[in-house]
Amino acid sequence: MSTRQSLEQQPQSFSPQSLSGKGTPLRDRIFMWALFLALAVGVFTLAVLLIYVTVKGWPRLDLRLITNMPSVRDPENAGAQSALTGSIWVITFTALIALPMGIMAALYLEEFARPSSKFQRFIEVNIQNLAAVPSIVYGILGLAVFARALALGQSVITASMTLALLVLPVIIISTREALRAVPRSIRDGSLALGATEWQTAYRQTLPAAVPGIATGTILALSRAIGEAAPLLLLGAVSFITFNPDGVLSNYTTMPIQIFNWTKESREEFQILAAATIVLLLVILLAMNFIAIWIRNRTQKRW
Amino acid sequence: MSTPDEVTLKLSSSMLRHGSELPLHARETVFSLDDVSVFYGDYEAIRNVTLPIGKNEITAFIGPSGCGKSTLLRSFNRMNDLIPGARVQGTVAYHGTDIYGPDVDPIEVRRRVGMVFQKPNVFPKSIYENVAYGPKVNGIKGNYDDLVEECLTRAALWNEVKDDLKKSAYALSGGQQQRLVIARCIAVRPDVILMDEPCASLDPIATAKIEDLMGELAKDYTIVIVTHNMQQAARVSDRTAFFTAELDDNGIRHGRLVEFGPTRELFSSPSDKRTEDYISGRFG
Amino acid sequence: MSTINPDATALTAAANSLRRSKPHYGERVIRGLLLLAAVVSVLTTFGIVISLLIPSIEFFTEIPIGDFLFGTTWTPLFMNGEFGVLPLVSGTLVITGIAIIVAIPLGLGSAIYLSEYASLRVRKVLKPTLEVLAGIPTVVFGFFALEFLTQLVLVKIFPGIEVFNALSAGIIMGIMIIPTIASLSEDAMAAVPSGLRDGAYALGSTKRQTAMKVVIPAALSGIVAAFVLGISRAIGETMIVTIAAGLQPQLTLNPLQGMQTMTSYIAAAGSGDLATGSIEYKSIFAVGLLLFILTFIMNVFSIRLVRRFRQVYQ
Repeated sequence: MSTRQSLEQQPQSFSPQSLSGKGTPLRDRIFMWALFLALAVGVFTLAVLLIYVTVKGWPRLDLRLITNMPSVRDPENAGAQSALTGSIWVITFTALIALPMGIMAALYLEEFARPSSKFQRFIEVNIQNLAAVPSIVYGILGLAVFARALALGQSVITASMTLALLVLPVIIISTREALRAVPRSIRDGSLALGATEWQTAYRQTLPAAVPGIATGTILALSRAIGEAAPLLLLGAVSFITFNPDGVLSNYTTMPIQIFNWTKESREEFQILAAATIVLLLVILLAMNFIAIWIRNRTQKRW
Repeated sequence: MSTPDEVTLKLSSSMLRHGSELPLHARETVFSLDDVSVFYGDYEAIRNVTLPIGKNEITAFIGPSGCGKSTLLRSFNRMNDLIPGARVQGTVAYHGTDIYGPDVDPIEVRRRVGMVFQKPNVFPKSIYENVAYGPKVNGIKGNYDDLVEECLTRAALWNEVKDDLKKSAYALSGGQQQRLVIARCIAVRPDVILMDEPCASLDPIATAKIEDLMGELAKDYTIVIVTHNMQQAARVSDRTAFFTAELDDNGIRHGRLVEFGPTRELFSSPSDKRTEDYISGRFG
Repeated sequence: MSTINPDATALTAAANSLRRSKPHYGERVIRGLLLLAAVVSVLTTFGIVISLLIPSIEFFTEIPIGDFLFGTTWTPLFMNGEFGVLPLVSGTLVITGIAIIVAIPLGLGSAIYLSEYASLRVRKVLKPTLEVLAGIPTVVFGFFALEFLTQLVLVKIFPGIEVFNALSAGIIMGIMIIPTIASLSEDAMAAVPSGLRDGAYALGSTKRQTAMKVVIPAALSGIVAAFVLGISRAIGETMIVTIAAGLQPQLTLNPLQGMQTMTSYIAAAGSGDLATGSIEYKSIFAVGLLLFILTFIMNVFSIRLVRRFRQVYQ
């Protein structure tokens, strides 16, 4: 009896009214807001950080920051010129070393090596590993090999070579991605005309991948500009009040100068550190915007 | 001079496209394939193909998808070399020389045997540079202006682009791009032009233009075209090879050459039942 | 089969011409150069291992490896200093632990939100924001941890907190690795075939149920790989701890105290001008070797997981 009743009633529970539902369950809404909150914490912290350093550094955000040299006695007038020029020197030579090497390695792995050969896989895993090695370990490598064994000392070139090795995996990985995005048909078209593999790579694939390579490289170099840990071991900590005049010159960089000032107890130096941070962040943001601009301007032609 | 192929080469000279009186065995052959099989790793994509390609003729390869006709075409200019694990067995003789022989440079082969692809793969450069690219990489020095004009003219594109030579090739329509690819191809003065479904991505008007152009080009070049479109094969080619995919004892598909002969003959009175089924639309 | 009507002259001409018209020596040289560039990465690994190993071996001839690994006192700069690395390891673990507590829920939450909930427009704003967060130099994070978090926030909550403390460094380090965890986890979730989601929705699942019961389990190995890589980054991070956590090696679990980590020891000792042969100089490499081995194991594990994960969904 009862079975029969329930069978008869059942269709009613699927009546059209029930489709309107009860809205999203409360638990689901809480869940979504919790997720949003998780994301908001990161964004909020970033905002607080940017505002904090800007406000704190504001009193010293003037031209003296660029025109004056660091000083331990006169924080009121000290600047970060030698750090700025040092960063420019170091990053220039980092780029000059890492860029050709990274592009060449990526070209080899993407265009010449037999795909999924043992050797290629080995190099690939090796590069992935290197990308995750702590930066301070690169500092140890630079200290032992470049500074001491090759006797290049605490110089711009030691720093550049070390940072170049540090960013090389990132450049290789992003360059390979850019090369992979160039369609196979472009290569086929070139090879079918009797071009050699190198001619094809150099005249067709590489130029077509330039925007992607540029984006990846700029991001990698912006990482190198902000890097401080390996340079701590490579002599950048010493107090430098002159601009580098060659690759064997002593140097300091912006992150190192910031680090040195955070160690000073007087508040003026903290303000100076904040001001230098703003300068550094502006440079980094500018580089990021250039990278994003290149990426957006040239997206998807095929 | 009698060959086993003569059975399939039942010629009726009146049916040749541009009225050539020569039957194939009296013509010079550019390619002659002898027992050619192409492998991808262990997989035999097409097996035991024996056929000749006549000079200044248009030879069409037709057949259902997966019958290995494109794979076979790519063995004519060693484009298969670029696919890891690909391997060619048998002899692909070009003017009597096995192009897979020990002394042969694939790059030299590709200079003589040009290729037009399914999707117009123009380079992301100007129209001018697209045409000049081949001669440039082949080390031909000098001023390319005349050459570019000549090639674009022969590809029936000159009048449409002569004022825009510096413009990006990407600005052209699909049909124009495909004619640019043909112009680019003849700029290296090849002997043979391979066309891998050149009209597959084009509309009927653009297709008609390419087909007209092929007739013109056949006066100077030997053309081998792979096509899905049987009407196209019937319209443009002198000779047609029909391929099909067959399952072997292990249930693996292999491409096979079923029939090869003058186009009209093959279409009007195919000697093989499978050809008849295919061209009458009963299969594939 | 004989060639049909062979044209003798054409034949020989063609035969000659198919040979290399000019030798491609350049091609070979270039290929070699490119290969050389690719091999640089192998040499780098080799260089790292060698430059860590040789001084470390010398170090362990003076300090027994057991004393190093299990000793509880780290006083390398004292006369007859002791080289028990446990205080540095515990400092590293405490700070990394705090960072994980912060970063895993926030990073994974961010990833789920971005992958399953965010509209295209929201994603377009928030993803680059996370990228910017990832691009902030660690020295800046260190400054922020010391000057803002410790001195303006934490002192009010924990009046007894030291100026240099593990808590502040750990929290900020956690914030730092959010982008790593979020973006790698999101990649993993994005790789889950949409068919799985559709299947769950078709059974009447809500978004939460789909995310928690279908997407996350399916992406789990990719997500774990993201965690491991994030932890490895935290262990290897130097500047935040050097600036904000102090330089006293002490064996404690109290996060309100200062601690020295393996990385901050290397940074502090390495930035002095140590004599090449001294035991202090060699201790940098011994600690570096330990750090390298720890992070290397985690990285390899993470790379393996990602690779296996990719194979499942390809």
